[in-house]
Amino acid sequence: MTLAHPERTEPERRPLGDIALVDLLDRLLGAGVVLAGDVVISLAGVDLVQVRLHALITSVRADMVGTSARAEASHDG
Amino acid sequence: MGETGRYLYVVTRDLDPAALVDLPGLGGGSLELVEYEGLLAVVSSVDLDEYGEEGLRANLENLDWLEGAARCHDAVVQAVAAVAPAAPLRLATICLDDDAVRLRLREWHAALVQILDRVQGRSEWSVKIFTDERRPPAPAHAGGSGPDDERPSGAAYLQRKKADTEARLAGETAALEVVEQVHETLAGYAEATRVLPAQDPRLTRHEGTMLHNGAYLVEAAREPDFVACVTRLVAAHPHVTIDLRGPWAPYSFAMLDQR
Repeated sequence: MTLAHPERTEPERRPLGDIALVDLLDRLLGAGVVLAGDVVISLAGVDLVQVRLHALITSVRADMVGTSARAEASHDG
Repeated sequence: MGETGRYLYVVTRDLDPAALVDLPGLGGGSLELVEYEGLLAVVSSVDLDEYGEEGLRANLENLDWLEGAARCHDAVVQAVAAVAPAAPLRLATICLDDDAVRLRLREWHAALVQILDRVQGRSEWSVKIFTDERRPPAPAHAGGSGPDDERPSGAAYLQRKKADTEARLAGETAALEVVEQVHETLAGYAEATRVLPAQDPRLTRHEGTMLHNGAYLVEAAREPDFVACVTRLVAAHPHVTIDLRGPWAPYSFAMLDQR
């Protein structure tokens, strides 16, 4: 369920813009019980989201290249 | 199907297997239980061509695949969490066979029992707070600005910049106070809380700045009070957007302290 402020109307959303999906991936990749299985993925969960989705983000949102560059610069700091 | 592995969804206990009937696993595989000293791992067989290291590396970059896998994984976790305590596993935890699954249950037995004790009868709720860019604070320098191409004098420019900075800082301070107040109020209804990293607006496409991304572990009996409290906070703080989602399976409270 969502209780946003009533005046706020949601803009149209492409699949990537689904907060619920990002919430889910945050939890499935960044939380939960981490038991090293036999199939090893070397990246930590949060990195997995950032790194694996990076290509998709930049290709889908090429219009925001400037923002991406700034965001990455601040990640490094 | 080539070689197969055992995909782990969730660890639970005292689960009536009826809860898993008709629920599909990944790739349509059927769900099964692997038991070790009171702990039950919910697993299904997956094709290692798709879920081996090489396959996963490629598939995790495919958002459609990732979404499908995540939604299937979550559906299994939710079905279990609805009837029993659930310690969800991170996406893509795969063992080669049931003995390997039991080995993990044995190795992490005490920690898993601790997690199940912590989450039993409780759900996770997500509360996010955004600045509302559509309702900016009153401008500090209303009127008096010339056409865009007119260069302001040095003094006027500096004065205006200073006023802008002060207005921005005042806005940020006020927003942080709201976050603190909301978080503390909600924590009073929760058994445990976690503050998660703010989400990237390139992924969520939210407007404004995400000021808070909180997870709250709430006892089933207190859920109505928790939700009512959020509703009150939404009304009390019209200058931010407060977004409530839940209940989730307790993903954020199922972390082993191993890292």
